[in-house]
Amino acid sequence: MTLLPKRAALILRLAVQDLWHERKMSLCITASLVAVIAPLLLLFGLKHGVVTQLQNELLNDPRNMEVRMLTTASYDADWIHALQNRPDVGFAVGKTRSLNAQADLYNDERRFLDNAELIPSASGDPLLQDLTVFPQGNGVVLSASAARQLKAEAGDSLTLAVNRRLNGERERGTMKVQVLQRLAPSRFPRPAALIDVDTLIELERFRDGDASRLLGVTTGAERDDHPVHYSRARLYASDMDAVEGLVKALEAQHINTDSRLADIQNVKAISRMLGLIFRLIALTALIGCLASMAGAFLANIDRKRQQYAVLRLLGLHRAGIALHVVAQASLMAITAFIAALGLYALSATLFNPLLRASDMTTHIATHMTPLQLLVAFALTLSVALLVALLGVARAFRIQPAESLREI
Amino acid sequence: MLSLRDLYITRGRGHERYAVHLPELRLDAGEVVAVVGPSGCGKSTLLEAIGLLLEPDRPGHFTLGRQKQDLARLWQQDDAAALATVRSRDMGFMLQNGGLLPYLSVRDNIALPRQLLGLTAKSARVDHACETLGLTPLLDKRPAALSIGERQRSAFVRAIAHEPALLLADEPTAALDPHAGARLFGVMTALVQELEMAALVVSHDRELVAEFALRRMVASLTTEGCRFDAAP
Repeated sequence: MTLLPKRAALILRLAVQDLWHERKMSLCITASLVAVIAPLLLLFGLKHGVVTQLQNELLNDPRNMEVRMLTTASYDADWIHALQNRPDVGFAVGKTRSLNAQADLYNDERRFLDNAELIPSASGDPLLQDLTVFPQGNGVVLSASAARQLKAEAGDSLTLAVNRRLNGERERGTMKVQVLQRLAPSRFPRPAALIDVDTLIELERFRDGDASRLLGVTTGAERDDHPVHYSRARLYASDMDAVEGLVKALEAQHINTDSRLADIQNVKAISRMLGLIFRLIALTALIGCLASMAGAFLANIDRKRQQYAVLRLLGLHRAGIALHVVAQASLMAITAFIAALGLYALSATLFNPLLRASDMTTHIATHMTPLQLLVAFALTLSVALLVALLGVARAFRIQPAESLREI
Repeated sequence: MLSLRDLYITRGRGHERYAVHLPELRLDAGEVVAVVGPSGCGKSTLLEAIGLLLEPDRPGHFTLGRQKQDLARLWQQDDAAALATVRSRDMGFMLQNGGLLPYLSVRDNIALPRQLLGLTAKSARVDHACETLGLTPLLDKRPAALSIGERQRSAFVRAIAHEPALLLADEPTAALDPHAGARLFGVMTALVQELEMAALVVSHDRELVAEFALRRMVASLTTEGCRFDAAP
């Protein structure tokens, strides 16, 4: 059986020598493949690049994942927990009533920020995306505009102050907070401080009339055991596809929401539409490619009938002929794919700066992942194998006796 | 080497039916027999049948080689694989147009039947035949670069490269001028004798056959088709 690999090697060598001997013809067939594959690669790369860019733009802005609850009610900690444990939720934290989520901030140089928004936050907050810290205890993260007005840097100490009226008396509670970091300007537009949710609860209770050691006020009720209730939740979906389900789940609980679902659905629709257009073009091109390659390949086999008959006469079996035909088709397809890949790379390098320079878009570029290239290669090879199959069917009918008969 | 009795082959149907009958043929080692007759009388059909390319109606008695392998039985058993093996191992074919593969050098063309049988590409016999036929300087050329005479000599060496028991040649000199034809015939008969093969050569060139005093199988038309008998 050592004869078999040796024989296969011999047949492959014959196939290559034949292709090389008729290189003009081989080049024609290969070129017809390149003419289809290269534009398809470029088109797909562009489509994938556009869709990826649109999706990235959505993903890069955490607000696109946000589902804002419009309905205010009373939610206990269990409800927030259940929300956090949903697979389609990326981040959730309870919010206090919005009136209570405000405080004055000032530093030693007497720079004031009245009624800064206090945003409950925790580890994993999408607003903190690139930061390594998160608000904890008396540590806060300032929005860019808040930091600017306070001239505060990371590490600075600030005073947070809240006022209340208890039994007709105006009272002011203060606490020291530490600036951990500041957000990038694009993250949050208004002056705000991201704050530990427990600290925020403490502020709300103070406003509701409780005494607070944290804020240095001893008057008021001592009610440490009353259960925590949130009026709403700050809520982010785990990814783009999860937004819709989350919105529906909340609506089922009669909670009205506001989200960028429409934008997300827009991108999805564009992606779907481009995908459909691409598939249509690819299908048409593939059929054309199949027809042209099959035509050329079969005509080639007919032309070389006598040679195949001689090979059969010399003792090459049908399996050998099949291997010969398949090897030739595959070799041409592989060569064509490599050439098309080169052309794609070349046109992508020429094309991408042009795309970047155009006013319409900022970051769009042709792009394909290795997996997509692998799929493209597999498709090319299957076209070749389909053509080879037709060729094999044709070549199988060639009898060794035909070598004796003159055409 | 080759022994045949009562080989019947028919081609076509109805009024296009044509029957070829070979009552008897014996070929000894080193012997060359010519099959002669007018065009279209069935010489090639006979050659195809003896070359196991065409199934005879009745194989009669059909043995080949020193071991007298029974090919009639293989036909009766319809053992296509065994017939194909015998064909590629024990028979060598020389075609009218040479049948050389255009993409291989003369050397590779000659080596091909040996390689397909799993034999070494080189053999002393092949080298000797190339030397005798003056092909040695042409071995690295492609068939397209050769004259027709050179091509036919190359085709002859390829046909005997794997040392078959029987050489079947179909009008090998048809495309050659008389001088080149005579030269090819000369080296062919000499080498067949030297290498102790048997050869069956289809030819319509009576002068050439007469010149080399070859034993002849002559076609005579019958009511059904054609019949080949040894010439007196």
